[in-house]
Amino acid sequence: MTAFLAILLAGVGTYAMRAVFIVVLARRKFPPLALRALEYVAPAVMGALVMSMLITPEGTVVLGAPELGGLGAAALVAAKTRNHIYALVVAMSVFWLIRYTVA
Amino acid sequence: MTISPSVLRGIQESIPLFIPAIPFALVFGIVVGESGIPALIGWSSSPIIFGGAAQITLLSLLGEGASVAAAATAALIVGARHLLYSVTMAPKFQDQPAWFRWLGSYVLIDQVFALAVVHRELEPDQFRQRYLSAGFTFWTLWMTFTALGLFVGPIIPSEWNLAFAAPVLFVGLLTVSIDRWQKALVAVVAMIVTVALADLPNRSGLLVASVLGIALGLVLERFRR
Repeated sequence: MTAFLAILLAGVGTYAMRAVFIVVLARRKFPPLALRALEYVAPAVMGALVMSMLITPEGTVVLGAPELGGLGAAALVAAKTRNHIYALVVAMSVFWLIRYTVA
Repeated sequence: MTISPSVLRGIQESIPLFIPAIPFALVFGIVVGESGIPALIGWSSSPIIFGGAAQITLLSLLGEGASVAAAATAALIVGARHLLYSVTMAPKFQDQPAWFRWLGSYVLIDQVFALAVVHRELEPDQFRQRYLSAGFTFWTLWMTFTALGLFVGPIIPSEWNLAFAAPVLFVGLLTVSIDRWQKALVAVVAMIVTVALADLPNRSGLLVASVLGIALGLVLERFRR
């Protein structure tokens, strides 16, 4: 049930972020500093998340050649095509290839 | 019964925009399957949160042993861009009925925001029909595809390591969000800090790295142009 509690909290919070200016603070301006901070939320959080997803529950970082190759390929394809499906297919192929040939 | 042209257009224009969300629905299914959380509870995040990146973040962190507070906070930071959507759309909602402001906020996802920005000049009635039909087309598709992901995810053999698709998708999101060197540096620093703090309990290293990264970004702003 703790999982459901986390889902509820995240759901209420997400709705609040979507509604706050539309429903409540329509005539309020966003502080410029917060606006600039928001620009860095995506790179900071996504960077942290990618690494966090490679850490086991015991705290070990799993970042070998297959992972580095796969993530590098994902970054290259996403930058070139901006298409998440291509990035996923190429990155998983590179990951499997290195895993089963080299490792 | 006739369907208004605005409703039809809203449905039509949302379907192609949904295609990039399909891998997220599949990865969501895999992440829930690996987390050990019952599928129905995992799926309930689709109607309750209705945001792919936040849902994957939340459930993968819970599966990795994060506390409720750490996982929910991380999911909210991932969703912080919705504040920007809300402030941008607010003026357009002021000539709309109250029920639409409450309901429309619920479906203000990335794709609906992208469409709504383009349609800002439409008459209030047309805007509302177009917005709601696009929003609830995405909603219906997301509910369906995340449910499908939950069936497909556990069938895939775990030796395939498909869970690796989650960081892959986030690297994709990260890459397209970087449009200047300051952001690239912020991302690299956040990565290094997360790895350095891997031992911290409840995945709190993720939050420390995010806050440090954002602070670094604000400092680097001074070097812009």
